[in-house]
Amino acid sequence: MNFFRRIRKDASYHINDYTIDSGSLFSLSSAQITLEIKLNLKSTGKAAIGLKNVSGRMFAEMVEEIRNFLDVSKTDSDLSYRVINDAYDYLWIVIQSGKVEDIISGISAVGQTVHDRGFSNQLFVAIFQFRNYNNNKNDHYLVYNFASNKFYPFVPVSKNERDNEIEREIFETILNEMPFERDDSLWYPIWNLTL
Amino acid sequence: MSSSTRPAWQKRETGLVARMILSFAILGLLYIIFLSVLAYLGLGFVPIAIVASVMILAQWYFSDKIVLWSSGAKLVTRDQFPELHDLVERIVARNNLPKPKIAVIKAHMPNAFATGKGPKSSVVAVTTGLMEILDTLELESVIAHELTHIRNRDVLVLTLASLFSTVAWYLMQFGFYGGLYSGGMGYGGNRSNNSAGAMIIVIAVAMLTWVISFLVIRAISRYREFAADRGSAQMTGKPVKLANALMKISGTMKNIPTKDLRQVEGLNAFFIVPALSGSTIGNLFSTHPPVQKRVEKLMEMEASMG
Repeated sequence: MNFFRRIRKDASYHINDYTIDSGSLFSLSSAQITLEIKLNLKSTGKAAIGLKNVSGRMFAEMVEEIRNFLDVSKTDSDLSYRVINDAYDYLWIVIQSGKVEDIISGISAVGQTVHDRGFSNQLFVAIFQFRNYNNNKNDHYLVYNFASNKFYPFVPVSKNERDNEIEREIFETILNEMPFERDDSLWYPIWNLTL
Repeated sequence: MSSSTRPAWQKRETGLVARMILSFAILGLLYIIFLSVLAYLGLGFVPIAIVASVMILAQWYFSDKIVLWSSGAKLVTRDQFPELHDLVERIVARNNLPKPKIAVIKAHMPNAFATGKGPKSSVVAVTTGLMEILDTLELESVIAHELTHIRNRDVLVLTLASLFSTVAWYLMQFGFYGGLYSGGMGYGGNRSNNSAGAMIIVIAVAMLTWVISFLVIRAISRYREFAADRGSAQMTGKPVKLANALMKISGTMKNIPTKDLRQVEGLNAFFIVPALSGSTIGNLFSTHPPVQKRVEKLMEMEASMG
């Protein structure tokens, strides 16, 4: 935990022309409590950060560094991870932990590493998985877009369909607790990602 | 994006729009012809004012029939639409309101309206398109919105409000004709100068009154819409349902994309500046507040309900 505290202190860092406030990511830790109380949505303990794959030694080294870092965290806490490549040639680092704070810290730390290695352009989104354990039908996601520094909801119901109603409920519930994307025409889905 | 991919109900219902325009054109023409004839016959200001007020009263009295005819709404019995009748009865029973007559319009365009002089003789009309795209709770919230219009006597409020502007309109007309006649026929020199000046003032004031009342009516109308939204939320206890219905009706629901971010990422979708929406001038002239604003208010209510 101390390790993550240290990362947290380093609150904001810079990506190209836009500043990213890692505080945005951490606003999730209070917002998820609201989600649980009001909408009965609990974190599944899974989250992922997506990177646009680049070929070359530098990028491979960075991924290696991330792996090493996460391996260390593995022994520090109950955090586990895996790396997947999707059909769109994006690299996803899936992080799992019982503590939401640890997931957020992990995602934030990976983002920091990517930035430090000069690959902030490749930073895509981070997605956090939630579930309503009362009617265990489908997964709910909060997507964090690094470029816009904003969150938005994504609730897929089938292969190409999403539940706009629940998405709006999520939006309304935590709108004021975190930087939220108010323009719903930017709520782009991330289909078929198995965390 | 192209119009051909839009669902049928989002396209303009030209038939319906034409009917509306036609009925209002006929109404307006009737007024003008009738009053011109009276003026031609040399009736004075007072008799014409009386005739005009009788016509306004008649319009008020027949308003529901005019609206029903112009929209093509047909009153429906319980046998024809049992579920719709049940739904309306549930709301009126819960809220201690008299049951309105129910009408259905055969149109793809999702819409609803209420008309009638008072709570006892009112009609709620919905289009078949509305029933198709909304689920039961959403339809209930839309009907509750219309019932609030009836309960608040909005038809009366707006008729009274427009009476003001109609009177101003007539004053303007009379001032204009009065000025023409007195000027053209050349009754005594000095007097006509004075009266022409007075007439210009009357015309100017009447015109100003008309313009202001026109804007005020629209402001009142927008305010009544918010009030009806609130009333609906109170009746159903589910503001979010009305918000959803509004978004479905306006097609805003379609805003939320279904195309994968990884597919659009190359297009830099995230950096496109959203197009400017609804100018203030447009807002000033419209009778309904923008859907976005109404949805926002409803969502605030939903949030405050906790």
